[in-house]
Amino acid sequence: MFERFTEGARGVVTGAVGHSERMAADSVTEEHMLLALLDQEGTRTSFAFAALGIRDRRPAVEQSLADARRHGGLSKADADALAGIGIDVDRIVSKVEEAHGEGAMRAGGTAGRPRRWWSGHRGLTPGAKGVLERSLRIAVGRGDRHIGDEHILLALAARPGVVSEVLSDHGATYTTLERTMFGDPGTLPATG
Amino acid sequence: MTEATDLAERAGDRDPRVGLRAVAALRLLLERLEAVQVRSAREQGWSWQEIADVLGVSRQAAHKKHGRQ
Repeated sequence: MFERFTEGARGVVTGAVGHSERMAADSVTEEHMLLALLDQEGTRTSFAFAALGIRDRRPAVEQSLADARRHGGLSKADADALAGIGIDVDRIVSKVEEAHGEGAMRAGGTAGRPRRWWSGHRGLTPGAKGVLERSLRIAVGRGDRHIGDEHILLALAARPGVVSEVLSDHGATYTTLERTMFGDPGTLPATG
Repeated sequence: MTEATDLAERAGDRDPRVGLRAVAALRLLLERLEAVQVRSAREQGWSWQEIADVLGVSRQAAHKKHGRQ
């Protein structure tokens, strides 16, 4: 499917691989894809990030992602849901780190089995691969002939998880992003 | 405020979404804790059979799930 990816979309994947390498992660995740999107300039996604005020809040976005990583990939919403049934995630993470060292719960190493799939060196997690597949479905659903960085961003926002929740916490939901980037409601996100 | 917090505050409604959301989060937490503990056991020289016995699963299941660590 990669022949249909625009230069911008390919740049996101290449950039994500770069972030994965710099963070010494053993695979490429959705988080790396979001960071790569935030790096872009002069694209539809960078315009949307600027319009939604996310560009200026990048440190806060990165902090949210780092917090979730330390908590084993549990988002703030996950922690809130667990607090609702009397489970204190912060306390559990602290206990585990006492016994097994700082960052013991950190997601990335074992959360998803990376596959040597896009680059010859570093595999995408099933979640990251799912984002690319969904970006294709979103493009097809919109009747767009090519898959651009904007479709990757919509796919990130559409998939439940840490990245979409961090985006949403900063005002970028699927709907606001779609409106900002395309100016129309378009079609609903593909499921799956 | 996040969606889950809003939902939690409406827990009195007995909205199934609140409980289901907590179960989903708990499953994720469980997976992370299991990964940490299995890795630790392997580092301390435990066999897959020993780990599986304590977890209450088959040796094959434990190895299939965590074998890459």
